[in-house]
Amino acid sequence: MTESATDVVTPNLDSCVRIGSIVSSNSHLDYVVEILKGRDCDRPPELHEREFGQPVFIKKVVDGTEHAVMGVIYDTKLVDPDQGRTGPRLAQDDQAQFTPGYIEERTTLAGVALLGTAVITDNRSIADPTHRMPRWTLEVDDTVYHCPDEVALSFHTVDEQLQLAYLDRLVDIAGDLGSEVIVALIDRLRRMLPEDDPSQRTLDVVEQNIEWQARERRGVV
Amino acid sequence: MSGHSSAVGTVAGPGDDPNEFVFITPAEKSLKTGEFITYTVTVDGENRSVFARVTNRELIRGLPEGFLADPQVAPETVATTLGVPTDDTELYRLTATVIGYYNTDMTTFANPRQLPEPGTPLSIAPDRQLETVLPNLGCDTDSADVTDLDGIAHIGWLLNRSPEATNIHIPIEEFASTHLAILASTGSGKSYTASVLIEEMMGPGARASLLVFDPHGEYDTLAEMQGHETFKGEDGYEPGVVYYDPERLRVRISELEIGDVMAVLDNPSNRMQDRLSTAWRSMQRQESRTWGINELINEMEGIYGEDDASVGALEWRLRRSIERNDLFHPEDNVPLNDIVDPGQCTVLQMDTLDRRNQQLITTVLLRRMYRERLDAVRGRDSEIEHPIFALFEEGHRFAPASGDAPSLGIMRTITSEGRKFGFGLGIISQRPSKIDQDVLSQCGTQISMQIQNPNDQDAIKKSIEAAGEDVLRELPGLTPGQAVVSGDAMNTPALIQVRGRRTQHGAGSLPVIEKWRDAYEQQQREPTHSEAADFGGGESTGVQSLD
Repeated sequence: MTESATDVVTPNLDSCVRIGSIVSSNSHLDYVVEILKGRDCDRPPELHEREFGQPVFIKKVVDGTEHAVMGVIYDTKLVDPDQGRTGPRLAQDDQAQFTPGYIEERTTLAGVALLGTAVITDNRSIADPTHRMPRWTLEVDDTVYHCPDEVALSFHTVDEQLQLAYLDRLVDIAGDLGSEVIVALIDRLRRMLPEDDPSQRTLDVVEQNIEWQARERRGVV
Repeated sequence: MSGHSSAVGTVAGPGDDPNEFVFITPAEKSLKTGEFITYTVTVDGENRSVFARVTNRELIRGLPEGFLADPQVAPETVATTLGVPTDDTELYRLTATVIGYYNTDMTTFANPRQLPEPGTPLSIAPDRQLETVLPNLGCDTDSADVTDLDGIAHIGWLLNRSPEATNIHIPIEEFASTHLAILASTGSGKSYTASVLIEEMMGPGARASLLVFDPHGEYDTLAEMQGHETFKGEDGYEPGVVYYDPERLRVRISELEIGDVMAVLDNPSNRMQDRLSTAWRSMQRQESRTWGINELINEMEGIYGEDDASVGALEWRLRRSIERNDLFHPEDNVPLNDIVDPGQCTVLQMDTLDRRNQQLITTVLLRRMYRERLDAVRGRDSEIEHPIFALFEEGHRFAPASGDAPSLGIMRTITSEGRKFGFGLGIISQRPSKIDQDVLSQCGTQISMQIQNPNDQDAIKKSIEAAGEDVLRELPGLTPGQAVVSGDAMNTPALIQVRGRRTQHGAGSLPVIEKWRDAYEQQQREPTHSEAADFGGGESTGVQSLD
């Protein structure tokens, strides 16, 4: 597993797609991100680049060292300020619906849970990943980047072993969708690992446990 | 107890039973069930080490079972993946039962009647202390050098400790006077354990007068004790081992009681029984003790007339059952002087006698010896002036629970009253359920080894008062050579590993495969059955058609 992680050429962190920017937070580890749209940037994220379970990162310079604060999209929400508004609407034959001003305020929000941190190296990849709780607070307007799978894998490789040590915190933040976001992360990692990697089986066990617990909680079993 | 440094656990609180408490140990302090632990309490202003036995152990904190889902993935790997620490995370909750502190005045355990406070540190009981207080040695301190004591039998060491770390010496006097039972299924080391005890009893410290009733001839290696360095005393003592083979075993007819005779006769009618008992009583009143069947018949004919039909039938029966049996003799007898002597172990080999004869010779010998012991204690002339100990291999033969054996009565008498007259019995058996309950329940010291048969376990439970639940629970799980010693010789039951014998063991299983092979080869070497002779002349019928 570690071999495969080093074999893969990690993409440059500077060339990662921007997903959105932070607009608020629910707690120290739970942030709300507004997804970029066509008018906000040249290259808005594709739907699959901001999907449920997508790992993301935020760059932060702490004490002169550049860090990547790692997170994952665990929830999404659509916002339409116009929704439910009653009153006259301007419409004519060639334009069925005319809603000046508000149209651009429709937006997609994503919930991002923080997982841990890593140091950004000079060759623009990450090193020294840790799954401990990040101590630093992010700011409103901080840019959230799409985290390529290779970087996600190296973030999950701690001391040459696959780890998801943030798991309990993530379940707490993600609440009802906790097990799904973990399963999505595990799927992603599994795709990155060779078929015969011993960690595949470990991931199976972890996945099984998480799913079982969720089913127990939901009253299925 | 020396402070917290040797502590292995901490008391959490009381348990379910009044004498039980619960304590917690981390994973690295691996305590086995059955281990002895101590803590200190203040009794009457004095610090006392209270002993307790660990009875149960359960995991209260450990990795969840879901981590064990894939046998190929170690639970630790899953734990590490999830960031769960795996070092020393396991916590165990153990239950212990208080045995008590060693009361030096009473020389036994006394219950402090108070459980340790939560938070009390517990440590493993020191070997030397256990050696002093576990057996009933009557030491006046709780940490004496028990090897200095006389009259003790080193039977083995505590099973939970490393070999020979905590040696258990049981007081010979205790089990030799209040009787002993060695109960174990076949092949778990009954005769081995008995031989270890015989070795100890024949050592220069005890110089016992021992009699072994051996229906299988399993004790022939005991002779090695003679001339063996370990058994020699400083004063030149050397144990004697005497073998009595079946040819030398004789019962003088006049020693038989009317009940014994009835037991060997073929189905006598009521009239015959009446005739016989009258004549027998009259013969026993006579001065002469060397009369035979002829004299008895004469006596009957004298009383009932020569033509009496019952006397005729009795004559035939008596001649068949007694006169033609080599065991009975009008004059010869086993001389008691020969078979009992201090420092002498006599093995009565009865392997060629049938069961009835084994029972009869045993009955008569026990009865004679008991009479002599009675005389000795009452200050009358006696052939046996010292206490004796008799060991019965296959004890259920001599004191069976069902069916009658002539020996049962005298065995019951000796087990219930022999103590006063210095006559101890040791019963060895693999079927405790087949031994008479009165006999078994009088055996004050028990060495129980592996027993799986529920009936036999039940018999032990019913008849042995000292056998607590924890002793019985251990029995099915023991392996050969391991035993639970309980009863009068111990202050509390202990699980031991029986020590190795100094003489060779002669009662192991036969090497069956080897014997079969030898027999086969033997057969191959001998000429095979000769071919049917061809007398010629006849015409060959050729190959016969099957249809």
